[in-house]
Amino acid sequence: MARIAPWLALLVLLTALYAMPHFAAGQPYVLHLLILSMLYAIPAVGLNLMLGYVGLVSLGHMAFAGFGAYVAAVLMVDVKIGFWSALALATLASGAAGAAIGVVCLRFRSHFFMIVTLAFGLMLYSVMNNWDSVTRGAAGFAGIPRPAPIAVGGESFPFGPLDHFYLLVLSAAVLVFALQRLVVHSDFGRILAAIRQDERLARARGVNALLYKTAVFALGSAIAGFGGVLQVSFLRVAAPASFSLAESINMVLIVIVGGAGTLSGPALGALLFVGLPEYLRAAQEWRLVVFGVLLVAITLFAPRGLAGVAADLWRRISSRRAQAAS
Amino acid sequence: MDALLEQIINGLMMGSIYVLVALGMVLIYGVMQVVNFAHGVLFTVGGYLAYFFYTRLFPSYPLAVLLSMGSLGIIGFALERGVFRPLAGNLRNQVIASLGLILAIENLVVAIWGPNALQFRVSATDVLVPVGELRFSVQHLAIIGITLAMVAALGVFLKYTRFGTAIRATSQSREAAMVVGIPVERVHWSSFAIGTALAALGGALIGPLFLVFPQMGDAPLVKGLAAILLGGMGSVPGAVAGGMILGVVESVSTLFLPTDYRDSIAFVVMVAILLVRPQGLFGRRMRGED
Amino acid sequence: MKKSIAASALGALALVCAGTAWAQNKVTLGIVTSLSGQMAAPGVFQMNGFRLAEEELNSGGGISVGGRKYPVELKVYDTRANPSEGASAMQRLATVDKVPIVLGELSSGVAAAIAPIAQDYSVPFILTVPTGPNLTEENNPYVFRVNANNLQLNRALSDFLAKQGWSPIAFIAWNNDAGRGGVNGMRELLPAAKNGYVGYFNVGEVDFSSHISNIRNSKTQAVMLFMDEEPGSLAIKQIRDAGLKVHLIGTLAMGSDRFLKRLDAQKLDGMVQYNAFPPNASAPRIKAFSQRYKAKFGEEAHGFAAQSYDGLMVAAEAMQKAGTVTDGKAIREALTKIEHQGVIGTIKFDRKGQAHPAVYVTQWCSNGTRRIIYPESAKGACGTG
Repeated sequence: MARIAPWLALLVLLTALYAMPHFAAGQPYVLHLLILSMLYAIPAVGLNLMLGYVGLVSLGHMAFAGFGAYVAAVLMVDVKIGFWSALALATLASGAAGAAIGVVCLRFRSHFFMIVTLAFGLMLYSVMNNWDSVTRGAAGFAGIPRPAPIAVGGESFPFGPLDHFYLLVLSAAVLVFALQRLVVHSDFGRILAAIRQDERLARARGVNALLYKTAVFALGSAIAGFGGVLQVSFLRVAAPASFSLAESINMVLIVIVGGAGTLSGPALGALLFVGLPEYLRAAQEWRLVVFGVLLVAITLFAPRGLAGVAADLWRRISSRRAQAAS
Repeated sequence: MDALLEQIINGLMMGSIYVLVALGMVLIYGVMQVVNFAHGVLFTVGGYLAYFFYTRLFPSYPLAVLLSMGSLGIIGFALERGVFRPLAGNLRNQVIASLGLILAIENLVVAIWGPNALQFRVSATDVLVPVGELRFSVQHLAIIGITLAMVAALGVFLKYTRFGTAIRATSQSREAAMVVGIPVERVHWSSFAIGTALAALGGALIGPLFLVFPQMGDAPLVKGLAAILLGGMGSVPGAVAGGMILGVVESVSTLFLPTDYRDSIAFVVMVAILLVRPQGLFGRRMRGED
Repeated sequence: MKKSIAASALGALALVCAGTAWAQNKVTLGIVTSLSGQMAAPGVFQMNGFRLAEEELNSGGGISVGGRKYPVELKVYDTRANPSEGASAMQRLATVDKVPIVLGELSSGVAAAIAPIAQDYSVPFILTVPTGPNLTEENNPYVFRVNANNLQLNRALSDFLAKQGWSPIAFIAWNNDAGRGGVNGMRELLPAAKNGYVGYFNVGEVDFSSHISNIRNSKTQAVMLFMDEEPGSLAIKQIRDAGLKVHLIGTLAMGSDRFLKRLDAQKLDGMVQYNAFPPNASAPRIKAFSQRYKAKFGEEAHGFAAQSYDGLMVAAEAMQKAGTVTDGKAIREALTKIEHQGVIGTIKFDRKGQAHPAVYVTQWCSNGTRRIIYPESAKGACGTG
């Protein structure tokens, strides 16, 4: 029974999410917030694989989202390729960029690694901001289209309407989370865990740690790029401000507050990150002060993040139930 | 004056400010292996407090600076005990806590003083001193002097005083220091307090030179990080070398490379140097890491 | 996870109900601007303009539409110069607060994220500060711009500069949409600027020494400063302290006397800048506005404020002409036909939604006042700028 319960819960959740346009009809803002949450959650999954499962704290993650976003923008608007091909190519390109930059960054450890990734993030940002002829520079790359309508059961399904795009992003998010689970439970994932626990021991047993770390860095960057393309298709503009150092830092917050190294962490963190400032809107400038204080509080009192809190609660409930039953 | 020489001097002047910022960070890292990302906002608060003391309390600039340093020292003590000590050993959560502090403090500054820049005029130091064809204000020269004095003072303190030696011992090995009876907890919070006081000094000195505004610590933070990384994370002479090199590279690069990539160029140089010497210019190679 | 979705759905529902209750007595207009972050300082000027207009409209009981008077209320969202925040703000204004018009924004990149959503929900979006030309090139019938864009500003300025014969011209510019747009535009229009030195700096940076050294060593005759008043005051101080005898050219963002208070008049003497309106001009509409602004905010009126004030007044007039405070499509129609006498001049939108206000060039005098030196027709003595 216990084995089926989480899967059942997941099924119910997915059904509810896919039915959301129906529940939220007349409240498009809810869909908008959900889309934003998922657009944050997708790159967060990439960072979670790097940070949560291997301990690589990258402070330049969103720069790869930007890389993918701009590659897709140029492909769609200048080269006039369709959305789906641009999405695939941009994701691959981000992965390649991740591999190349990862090779350099991974020569360093812990704090060194963090600062070097920060530096690369800033350098990529500079290119996005300064290369006017290609990226349209600081004013942003406007005119990015939504995906072309697809044929569904004989009818045309456009992605302009918010609820349709919501379904697209939801499906993309489901795909990415499924991929995350696949990776974590695979041999690849197990080796990553081994590297995280004791790299020297893993190497002594013949694991090429650098290769695996580079691979996960590339995978994380590819996922970030994938999310970046979806984001700029949603906003219909690609601007450097969306991929700045501040955004990369937000990504780290999302992953850790959500629960690094857990499968649901990225989703919980993204929801909190999008939802909490909404609740605090009334507080104006104090909103961010409260948010900052909350973050510090979370590190002190809920160090395993939201997923950890949820897991603890679940354990307490189920043990109490077991006690009551006995 | 030769254009190159001019830029080198500009670079050294700017670099000295980076050194000042890096000094506070390098001490904290050396002793506790904590990268205090909140150093930038503490620098900012130092500037605002100095401005506050100078304009509201008593128009003595040295007093304002000292009061600001004292206040930040106390804040540093509180932060170490309240936030960083409980998180000792947990790199990820320390980073998050620092980031949370940045958010809270920077926006607190805006909530209290507003988003506009404040002008912190100290007439005594506004005087210009010519250096060849260049002219620098007394304030700027004072910054260099004070930075050098701080580097020297820190060096003497660490090497020749009892407590300084205790700090060095703790940075080498916490367990061994505890074994020989060094009050490690006291070493930790006092190092942190000294580090934050140095951050305040930076802000208080920069304020009159430029302006006091809420984001004034953001760029210095990144430069400071790059400087200590380049210099070798726990090394004071490294921080000096790193800061100076960064400043000079930035200035000289404007002679022949597009200025909008100025930051990137400095980073490229930093990464290139690190690729050749991963532990930084003055860093020590840790055994077992490669 | 489900709980927070349901909770936010309930929260949004509550807000919708509240919004509908309001709409019956007053009209709520949406404002997007930067209240925090790096763009908060110019945001203050923008908000001042909106608030002054709001106050003025409400002192007369509100906007009179179809025989009724609707007091004006502003719903302000802080977009923090972030495109996602801008999109969220617009989405919320359109579907939760259900405003008929949205005004403002500072950053071109954020405005580009707001514009498509404005079109989605048929809510006219009136820009009052962003200068990126592409904003009115996207065939979006719901985007209108009250202020001059980079092309218009640069054309006027290059016209003036060509007559001065200063060459070469160097730049010190913010490395963002405003700064880069200005530099690129001027280099295209003005031969003297084509090969000039370009010194970019990031928003928040304060040291211009390396740029100043390069300018000194390149025989530059004039330096254009593409930035706001805060770094502007520093740049000018550093340039003058370094003893550089170059002509200074500034932007309209350096337009309040707060700027002057930071520098003494000596350092500004002779500097020219382009401006949306000369606050001390004698034209009655400008004089009245400047006096009201000074009375309310204690300092000289800023161009951003004047543009925003006009934007809100145009919105009010459009609603009057359209006879509705709720129908975005009708209001849009009215905007396309409107001819409004504003503080910055006659506001009439062309096919692309762009207005064509006059661009002035003013020059600082040694006594701390300004005079208009371009266009020829508007030339005046010190004190009229």
